[in-house]
Amino acid sequence: MTALLAATPAHLTVKIAYLSILPMLALLGGALVILVWSSLLRRPLETVWITSLTVLAATAALVLSLMQYFDVIHHGAHVAIDGAIVSDGFSAFVAVLVSAAVVVAALVGDGWLQQETIRGPEFHVLVLVSASGAMVMGAANDLIVVFLGLEILSIALYVLAAFNARRRQSGEAALKYFVLGGFSSAVFLYGIALVYGSTGTTNLPQIASYLAQNYVLHNGMLLAGLALLLVGFGFKAAAVPFHLWTPDVYQGSPSPVTGFMAAVAKVGAFAALLRVFVSSFGLLRADWQPAVWVIAVASLLLGASVALVQRDIKRMLAYSSINHAGFILLGLQAGSTKGVEGSLYYLFAYSFLALGSFAVISVVGGPGDGRHGLDRYRGLARRQPWLAGALALFLVAQAGIPPTTGFWAKLEVLQAAAGAHSYALAVIAMLSAVIAGFFYLRVVVLMYSPAGATGDGAATGTIVDTVEPARAVGDEGEPVGVAPGGEAGSGAVALLEADTGESAEPLVIPGTTGIALALCAGATVVLGIYPAWLTDFAHQATLLFHP
Amino acid sequence: MSVPYQWDIVLSMLLFSIGAVGVLVRRNILVMFMCIELMLNAANLAFVSFARHLNDVAGQAIVFFVLVVAAAEVVVGLGIVVAMFRRRRGATADDFHLMKG
Amino acid sequence: MEDYLPIFVLLVLGILFASLSFVGSALLAPRKKPTSAKLAPYECGIIPDREPPQRFPVRFYLVAMIFIIFDIEIVFLYPFAVIYRQFLGAFGLVEVLVFAGVVLVSFVYLVSNGALSWGPARHLRPAQPERTSASTISRVGSGPGSGADRAA
Repeated sequence: MTALLAATPAHLTVKIAYLSILPMLALLGGALVILVWSSLLRRPLETVWITSLTVLAATAALVLSLMQYFDVIHHGAHVAIDGAIVSDGFSAFVAVLVSAAVVVAALVGDGWLQQETIRGPEFHVLVLVSASGAMVMGAANDLIVVFLGLEILSIALYVLAAFNARRRQSGEAALKYFVLGGFSSAVFLYGIALVYGSTGTTNLPQIASYLAQNYVLHNGMLLAGLALLLVGFGFKAAAVPFHLWTPDVYQGSPSPVTGFMAAVAKVGAFAALLRVFVSSFGLLRADWQPAVWVIAVASLLLGASVALVQRDIKRMLAYSSINHAGFILLGLQAGSTKGVEGSLYYLFAYSFLALGSFAVISVVGGPGDGRHGLDRYRGLARRQPWLAGALALFLVAQAGIPPTTGFWAKLEVLQAAAGAHSYALAVIAMLSAVIAGFFYLRVVVLMYSPAGATGDGAATGTIVDTVEPARAVGDEGEPVGVAPGGEAGSGAVALLEADTGESAEPLVIPGTTGIALALCAGATVVLGIYPAWLTDFAHQATLLFHP
Repeated sequence: MSVPYQWDIVLSMLLFSIGAVGVLVRRNILVMFMCIELMLNAANLAFVSFARHLNDVAGQAIVFFVLVVAAAEVVVGLGIVVAMFRRRRGATADDFHLMKG
Repeated sequence: MEDYLPIFVLLVLGILFASLSFVGSALLAPRKKPTSAKLAPYECGIIPDREPPQRFPVRFYLVAMIFIIFDIEIVFLYPFAVIYRQFLGAFGLVEVLVFAGVVLVSFVYLVSNGALSWGPARHLRPAQPERTSASTISRVGSGPGSGADRAA
């Protein structure tokens, strides 16, 4: 960008290493093809075609990012597009992860769209565009490119959150996400401005070399900028003082979107966070490590403890995702190669666990995607053994029980924390893992306990009774009948369900969702039994970090 | 005689703070949008004045990108608001309380 | 101080233009004062008892928003045009064509979705899915009487 506008005398020859941006181009190209194709047809395109195209584009992106990875192994890391984009092991890892997540999300989304009888290309196009934003964040070598990636990711996600036009909660979630997301983007941008003002550049390696060569005496502005960057990232990654949007948005968004959000938005935010803080501001480690420590501890403890009292499974998983964000921050706090490696591994493992969990939730939620009370999961194993088994696997893995990826992920970040002598943080993390294990296992036990025809509320204990009245009062003032669609509140149907006894209608697992579940479960188990594949990949990715 | 660039930065910080406080305090969705825009434009002002101070054109180029991003963002936001308020009257954040816990 | 001279000139010009406009409109406007009957809505003696509702169709906002997006994309063409002859050459032309192509795709999408077609509103897609007995029953059951949104 600098060279493009600076008055270089010679005729400008722009050399672009296309392989470094091909994975993103594959996703965006897929989105454009779908958009054009479905626009030019007279009748709406069948969803199956759109899904196939999306999966095709994402698979192409996966292959291309693997090619990029091998290219990096053989020829080393390099920057492209005048230093705006970097092609290294880290960016290839993120690209692989994001494209794989898009494959799963497209399949889950297909199942959900069929269940809701929504037609049109928008869902898949937005997923593709949003994922390309996450990829840009992973490969960004300039703070402004990070910002652009963040916005591409977020703006598409705002629309996706509002996607279920028939549920009012969906629009509400989108609006909340939009306001807080826009706020955090602005904070992030101002942080970039302050960093630019104090270092004179937004290029990440140039910032690092500036800090290495100059001792900034009055670095108040720089540190303020750094703090604002951390706040912006914290919002997107749902770390604790900045997590307030998370439960509402996770609950209100359509379940497949929530899974995608939990996986890809976290990947993008953490990828950029790791690269910016570890590689560019590594020298200011002593300044940011305490702040990250506090955020990590708060996320770990609050995420785990508040999840305990949730009755809605999506809210529960939202708090659990906050808890996971705390674990991923352990790797950042360590600030070492090992730490980055652990965080990358954790992101990979968590993405598929989140996608899988929310895929199950979108099936159990039934038509309308509104039934997410924990009661709904009582005795699920008898009605839907496969579905219950898959959810049990994902929850057990999130709790960190071997032999799943979740266990190795927690082990990796804890090792990194111990390696950086953050023993207190490691102990707190383990404590929060124990607390978190309780609510994961509670759902598993609920699914495998016999379906009680009576007293569904009593099963979840006194918590229910204490929380319930406050909510009921708050919602009584709501003119429920106003909305023409008369959307059912999630809880209402769940209660109705409980009254009429279990399973008013049998749950149908759409075929595509089944494939997605199999993929997620396979990744969780196979990579849990052979962790070396993924640890090696993450290790290589970190070693090939562009300096 | 020209104004020292520090004053521009102070102005941009003031604008940013006004915007940030506005987003957190005001309850009208449209005013909240405007406050987000104010924050983004405060950042733009900071970029431009830093670019002038550093004699570096990159900071001014950034403003183009931010402008486009801000426009895209606000259009999406307005789209969501229009979609929501086709069913409702006012535009108040307090109306949004379906989800709690 | 000479830095402020252009601003001062602009200020003077602005004041001049504004005052000239007022003077001009005062000179050119019709002299006759309208009566109160003339000013009334409908000019027919019927006094409306409330303000007429100002209705803007949602389509209006939609078109305005679409305009903003396409309008702001143009901002990238200015820097391109400035340095095109001097530095960019064929590469820049291809880049800008790709950019225009991407914008065009979104335009095609808009046109095909009917976002730009004025006239009587018609539903391009069914807003509701096919109603089944199950959906109707669950909707009835979740009415205000049964404590809807309880655990939402």
